[in-house]
Amino acid sequence: MMLTAGMFLSISFIMLAIGIYGIVSRRNMVRMLLSAEVIFNAALLTLLILSSIPIHAATQPDKPAIGGAIALLAIGIAAAEIGVAISIAILLFQIKQHVDVYELRKFRG
Amino acid sequence: MNVLNLELIVFIIFAIIAILSSIIVIEHKSLVYAASFLAILGISNAVLFILLGYTLVALFHLAVYVGAAVTFILFSITMLKEAPLTDIPTRVLAMIFTIFILATFTIILINGVYVNIPTPSFIVSYKALANALITKFWFPLLIASLALIVTLIEAITLARREVGI
Repeated sequence: MMLTAGMFLSISFIMLAIGIYGIVSRRNMVRMLLSAEVIFNAALLTLLILSSIPIHAATQPDKPAIGGAIALLAIGIAAAEIGVAISIAILLFQIKQHVDVYELRKFRG
Repeated sequence: MNVLNLELIVFIIFAIIAILSSIIVIEHKSLVYAASFLAILGISNAVLFILLGYTLVALFHLAVYVGAAVTFILFSITMLKEAPLTDIPTRVLAMIFTIFILATFTIILINGVYVNIPTPSFIVSYKALANALITKFWFPLLIASLALIVTLIEAITLARREVGI
C-alpha cells in the first residue's frame, strides 16, 4: 500500500473541520486563536500536499520549491499573527478582566 | 519491511497523533494543556511535511512555529483566565456546521482527481527553496520581515504599557 495524496488530504480536512468547530463554538479569545492555529496547520499541510504531487510536473518543474517557499512565508506570518492576537488578548484582559469576544463589540469606535 | 511500509507506519502514527491533539486543543478544559497539545500538533505536522519531502519546511516549522509561536502562547496564557463556554444550542449548531463542511470535503475527496496520486519520494533542496524565495518571492519576503519587526515593536510597546494609559 502506497502513501497517496488522498490520505494526507483527509487528515488535513479532518483538522480543518475540528478547527472550524472550535472557532464557532467558543467565545474565549485565546481558545479561538488556538482553533485558528489548528486551521492554519491544516491549510499548510494542504498547501504542501498539492504542491508536491506531480500533476503539472512537465509545465511547472519548480512547483514543489514554490510551494515550500510559500509555506516558509506563511509560517513567518503566522508567528507574527500569534504575537498580535495574544497581545490584544492580554490587553483586553488587563482592561476587562476576561477575554470574552462578545465583549469586544463594546470597543467599537 | 521495506522503506515504503515504514513510511506508511510513520504516517499512520503521526496522523492519529495530529487528529487526537487537534481534538484535545479544542476540548481540553485547561488552556495550558491545550497550548501544549498545539505544540504536539505542530511536531506531528512537521513529520508529515518530512514524509512529503519538505525537510527544510519541517525544520522551520519546528523552530519558528513550535519553538517560538506556540511557546509564546503557552507562556502568555498563564496571565489569563478562562471565559465561560457558549450555550449548548451554539455548540450543537457548530457541530452541524462542522459535519456539513466535513461532508462537503469528503465529497470533494471522493470525486477529486488528486486522491489516488501517490506522493513522490523526493526531497525539496535548500538551494531550490532559496532560489524560489529570492527570485520569485523577494517582495513577500520583504513584507514578512517587516511584519515580524512590527510585531516585535508592538509586543515591546504593549509590554511596557501601564494599565489605563
